[in-house]
Amino acid sequence: MSRSRLKKIAGSRAALILALVSTLCASATGIAAEATATAVLDNSETVLGQPVQLQIKVTGSASATPPQEIAVDGLEIHYAGDQRETHIEFGSRGMTNTTSVIHTYTVMPLRAGTFKIPSQAVRVGNTSMRTPELTLNVADAAGRSSRGARRNETTDPAQIGFVELILAKTTAYVGEMIPTEIRLGFYTRTPVESLGNGVELTGQGFTTQKMREPRQTIETIRGRSYQVFTFKTAIAPARSGKIDIGPVEVNPVVRIPQTNARRALPRDPFNLNDPFFDNFFNDPAFAPSAPREIKIKSEAAALEVKPLPPNAPPSFAGAVGSFTMVADAKPTSAQVGDPLTITAKISGRGNFDRVTAPSFEDEKGWHKYPPSSQFKQDDDVGISGLKTFETVLSANERKENVPALLFSYFDPVKEQYVTLRSDRIAVHIEGGNVPAPSTAGSPANPSSVPAQTPATTPASKTQDILYQLTELPKVNESFHPLFARRLFWLVQLIPLLGLLGFIVWKLREIRLGDREAQRIALLENEAAELQKKLRHTDALPRDYFSAASRVVQLKTALAKNVNPNSVDAESAATAFNADEPTRKRLRELFAVNDELRYSGGQNGASTVSADRRREVLDLLERLRI
Amino acid sequence: MLILSAAAGAQSPSEIFAKANQEFAVGHFREAVDGYEAVIRAGNINSAVFYDLGNAWFRSGDFGRAILSYERALALEPKHPEAGANLRVVRDEARALELPKTGPERYLGSGTTSQYAVAAAITFWLSLFMAAILIFSRRSRFGGTVFLALVLTAFAGAAFAIYAQETGSKGIGLAIVTEKNTQARVATADNSKSVLELPPGSEIKILSRRGDWIYAALPNDLRGWIPAKSAEAVRM
Repeated sequence: MSRSRLKKIAGSRAALILALVSTLCASATGIAAEATATAVLDNSETVLGQPVQLQIKVTGSASATPPQEIAVDGLEIHYAGDQRETHIEFGSRGMTNTTSVIHTYTVMPLRAGTFKIPSQAVRVGNTSMRTPELTLNVADAAGRSSRGARRNETTDPAQIGFVELILAKTTAYVGEMIPTEIRLGFYTRTPVESLGNGVELTGQGFTTQKMREPRQTIETIRGRSYQVFTFKTAIAPARSGKIDIGPVEVNPVVRIPQTNARRALPRDPFNLNDPFFDNFFNDPAFAPSAPREIKIKSEAAALEVKPLPPNAPPSFAGAVGSFTMVADAKPTSAQVGDPLTITAKISGRGNFDRVTAPSFEDEKGWHKYPPSSQFKQDDDVGISGLKTFETVLSANERKENVPALLFSYFDPVKEQYVTLRSDRIAVHIEGGNVPAPSTAGSPANPSSVPAQTPATTPASKTQDILYQLTELPKVNESFHPLFARRLFWLVQLIPLLGLLGFIVWKLREIRLGDREAQRIALLENEAAELQKKLRHTDALPRDYFSAASRVVQLKTALAKNVNPNSVDAESAATAFNADEPTRKRLRELFAVNDELRYSGGQNGASTVSADRRREVLDLLERLRI
Repeated sequence: MLILSAAAGAQSPSEIFAKANQEFAVGHFREAVDGYEAVIRAGNINSAVFYDLGNAWFRSGDFGRAILSYERALALEPKHPEAGANLRVVRDEARALELPKTGPERYLGSGTTSQYAVAAAITFWLSLFMAAILIFSRRSRFGGTVFLALVLTAFAGAAFAIYAQETGSKGIGLAIVTEKNTQARVATADNSKSVLELPPGSEIKILSRRGDWIYAALPNDLRGWIPAKSAEAVRM
């Protein structure tokens, strides 16, 4: 590298450093020119023994010299240290670097009273700035002798909270909505636990809108910090004259701080009796407290109410405020009798509960159905919003437009009635007949009372009523429904008796059926026993043929439902449609039986032969229907 | 009125009715009203008299009472064609509000309460007879059981129809607003908040009574209190 080149590089570096130094100097000069100093107390009120902090903040210079000692009679002020802050901001003029130094002092009050901390001089470079003068109120609260005053501060309801009733205006018209605020404030050292029975606006002669949830803010009032609840509503006077509103009474429950009873420890190796320790406990959230119900109430307010002027327009229904109206119809093309929905939107500010559906300018030829309404409020208390009415119309005849809508209200600002009139909405209603009113029965044509004939004409499209009926019916009618008449229930006796008769008949039939069944069962049982006996080999001939004859009689009786004792060979053969050989064998059976029964002895063999028994059993088996 | 009452004592209802018709024909509508009312007071309750009374009230300009009379004629004879036709005309004129029909009423409106009562009675007895037959029958009958189920269903339907009509918009509580400027209110006080303005002839359904006030279901599915003197029940 050549010597000349080295000199050139060194020269350029020197120029760069020079430029940087000059820039820094320039910015340092600028900062020095904008340096400010201020002083604040973290709390302007304290009690004896409780320290507060004094902060002196110097902005724009890191080399400011704060006062090392601040002497105020009755206050012990010690320097506690400093804290530096650097704030870098990128703006249109490039990077701006701001440095602040906060010098903190601890101020310990030595006695009660009001103290002025005088303006302090702060040196920044060659210049000297002064902080503002500060005031510190020290209450005699920590000592035993001053406890009463402290308790008074936290137990007097007027010191703890307040209620304010604020009316937007004091003169109004009947029905006019007046925005109203109820402000409820509680000293932050006595935080509210509950609002008791809530907030209610008392009085007569006015109505109140429903109150919404309150808005909460923290406000400083006369040097004290309050938690403020703001309830918004609106009242509407219902009569003219002077109306007293309120007062608003509230019974909230607040937490009352207990006396600062941090007693000095007899032996305190860790210096817990240091007043600085109390600073932590100064926070109400940590302080011991007890709930207490207090009573606070506002001042009453008076409202001068003027009556609405006379001669209200016909469409006026009590609306007071300021409104606008737009109207629409759907569909715009229909047949006679078809429904059209007319939508009227009324928006503005006022007593919407008295805003009723607009009336139609001329309803002739239309059938109007009851309107429906819907309100959409756009404020907290419902005095501003949009109310939409839907009315269904059906035309009774051809129409070219929907009649104009009329809505009247009283404007309290203009102090006069205002009638809004919509444009006539063009529609196209087709079909139907041109109305042709009947004159029957009308005074103009009294002689035209016709004879009674069935009414078949559709009278709904005419605008006149049908004729008189000239014959008085002979039979009276009743408003009682059929089921509530005595005759109806008397008639029910007929089917009731029929049902009872049917049931009795069926029960008797069942009983008779049971008796017959018993008889049949006896006969069947007897027949079965005898047949069993007939199969026995050692029976005497007389007994054997007697039993066989009896079986024939029983079978015949079961088949023909006759008395078995009256059955003989012929009737048995007839009953079973027996062929001639069977008939002959039956006759022989009955004859043998008679012979054995009436011969009086054991004639012939002492037993019945097996062949003979087989024949008899075969005969009995043949007796079937 | 006294003269008419005295005359009514001497004349038969038919004669009073004929005289009222004559008064109507010559345009003496108030006299005609008095005549028809005398006929009704004499115990002649029928739809024809109420229909004529409605016509007379209509000609007198009292739309509320005209509608009330037509409604009474229809309560006595639900299919009275002239009363139905004239009622529609007067409603148009009076801009009277009507109670909305309930869902069952729309579907069951083709029948009258009396018809449903007859149907209920028939199906009731049929079901009892069928049940008795099934009980005494020695064999199980599937057809009979199905028939019994159908008849019982029909009976339940008829009973429900009666209930729906009696408790519906045209049921036992139906009343008609007869006075002008009638306001339904939220409480039994003249200065309480208005719920709905009821033109004469508007239908309401009486829910309860308290002193001189009626608590009623109103058109637009609203409810409110109205003075008892402002409305009359349709069923006398």
